Amino acid sequence: MSRHSNTNTNANASTSTNAPTGGESRRLIDLERGLPALDGATLRAHAGLLLAVSLMALPLVIAALISFGTRATFTSVSELSLETAAQNYRDVLFRYDMGQYMLNSLIMSVIVVIGKLAVSLLAALAIVYYRFPFKNAVFAVVLLTLMLPVPVRIVPLFQLAADLGWANSFAALTIPYLASATTVFLLRQHFLSIPASLVESAKLDGVGPLRFLAFVLIPMSKGMIAGVSVIMFIYSWNQYLWPLLIVDDQSMQVAQVGIRLLQGVVESGEIAWPLLMAGSIVTLVPPLAVLIVFRKPLLETFGVQ
Amino acid sequence: MGTRDTKEIYGGSLGVGQFLRERGLRGTVAYLREHGVRGAVANAREDDRSLLGELRGISVAYLLLAPTLLVSAVFLYYPALEALELSFHQTLFFGGQRTWVGLGNYETLLSSSAYHESVAITVAFAAAVVVGVMTLSLVVSFLLYEVDWGQSGYLIAAIWPYALPPAVAGIVFLFLIHPSIGTLTAVLEGYTGLEVDWFSDGRQAFVVVAVAAIWKQLGYNVIFTVAALNNVPATLREAAELDGIGRWTRLVRIYVPLISPTLLFLVVMNTIYAFFGTFAFIDLMTQGGPGGATNIMIFDLYRNAFEFNNHGLASAQSVVLFAVVSLLMYAQLRFSDERVHYGA
Repeated sequence: MSRHSNTNTNANASTSTNAPTGGESRRLIDLERGLPALDGATLRAHAGLLLAVSLMALPLVIAALISFGTRATFTSVSELSLETAAQNYRDVLFRYDMGQYMLNSLIMSVIVVIGKLAVSLLAALAIVYYRFPFKNAVFAVVLLTLMLPVPVRIVPLFQLAADLGWANSFAALTIPYLASATTVFLLRQHFLSIPASLVESAKLDGVGPLRFLAFVLIPMSKGMIAGVSVIMFIYSWNQYLWPLLIVDDQSMQVAQVGIRLLQGVVESGEIAWPLLMAGSIVTLVPPLAVLIVFRKPLLETFGVQ
Repeated sequence: MGTRDTKEIYGGSLGVGQFLRERGLRGTVAYLREHGVRGAVANAREDDRSLLGELRGISVAYLLLAPTLLVSAVFLYYPALEALELSFHQTLFFGGQRTWVGLGNYETLLSSSAYHESVAITVAFAAAVVVGVMTLSLVVSFLLYEVDWGQSGYLIAAIWPYALPPAVAGIVFLFLIHPSIGTLTAVLEGYTGLEVDWFSDGRQAFVVVAVAAIWKQLGYNVIFTVAALNNVPATLREAAELDGIGRWTRLVRIYVPLISPTLLFLVVMNTIYAFFGTFAFIDLMTQGGPGGATNIMIFDLYRNAFEFNNHGLASAQSVVLFAVVSLLMYAQLRFSDERVHYGA
């Protein structure tokens, strides 16, 4: 008995020479046992995180609750009902056309993702695997487009799209977005990490650039391609200013601007707010779903930069 | 093929040779057999990749680049140059008639007190958003990095605003703290004694819009910050803990300097977001009001261009904004080369 307690004190003493605070030494011992440490500091960290993520989620939770009710202010949960919610979401999707806007957003985003990916894959292939005159200049021309976001060219872009007869078309919503400095850059970085000697073998096999891209590069870049696709999808889905300007035919409008139209239609009536919150929730669902499903490749892609 | 993992395909498993041989990639297969992918990656940088070019000629390279260059030229460079050109003109009849006014539009901007106010509001707004986002996301990311369990759950709970559409964030906030019916308004008034009326109080409107913009941007920052923290060697934390250094000291004195390249990148990205990405918030929540209190430059530009049809003046504002983006990008490249410690 006394011998047992003796070893115990020895163990404690040897740890505490390194770690003066009791909490920290206990934590180390726990880690050695493979158990989660539960000292004050850890608990405070969890409490802080829980508070932070709850506060971040709170506005959305309230919006979701409101979308289940008939009135803008709710006093108890009993006022909320699934029936009302079904009615609200049905109304917002079909009577107020959010369903159509969502479909337009989806078509726009899918075209942008596929188009950008195709165009950028070709460009990255050329930049990494070819030697040609003015290569660095060309790469710079692509990268410098980062300095030209929509707002710095908005008036001429609007006129150009109008002159081309593209108003209210998917062409206007998508084609100006097909060149992407970020995507080309990320793909280039990834291609550079793929063994260069693969090219030699491909050359010996007489493989052309497109087959090399399709059968070697793309299969080896699946994670990166998934990651940039998610980034592009969310970016495209969240566009607001450009669709607001170039689309004035309501049936062609996208979900983001659809919320604005909804706001105009139902402004400040008692029953209107639950509809507006329902519209907000449905607009958030697609990008959020994509983020959650593809979070792993997304996080890896972000880690590259 | 689509479902199989890359490593499975190229890491030497047996189905691979068959797969590649079917497509005539005999040499590639031999190469992969011999070296394996891992070893090859290590040598990748020393090798010359530009071999397809010698074989196939430079025209192919330009053909591959053509779509990117064409779209860039037509929809990025041409409109940008055209904006510069337009900024020297006065436009009438929806841009149908142009008169050369030289620097006239810029002089108008320089002497306009409304524009000065808009610039000041934008700078203040960007400062508020950047400081708010950076501080909050750094604290959340650091706590996330420090906890031993539940990280993946917390991570999803903290990065989701990255997917949040700005219009949704704007409309939800518009409702939550609506002066008369907002769910949070009564709570806020009860606890602070404040009278919430940001539809007529400019400062309140500024704060509400800034908070909404900060909320939306947190997820993006957490992704980068957590990634940067995860690159810091884990032994550092153990050493710091053994030395009994408290959590906040650790964050400020050890981690912030180590991840400073990422933080600097985020400052620039968040500034660009505050300048350009917050249009939806203003448009949906305040329309620049009350009394110009939230009239940031991009919203002012939009109104000049598409409400008052003053394309020349709006284009001059575009050029000013271009100068801002260029400066920010330049600053980022400059500082990240010189001052910043590359830890990872």
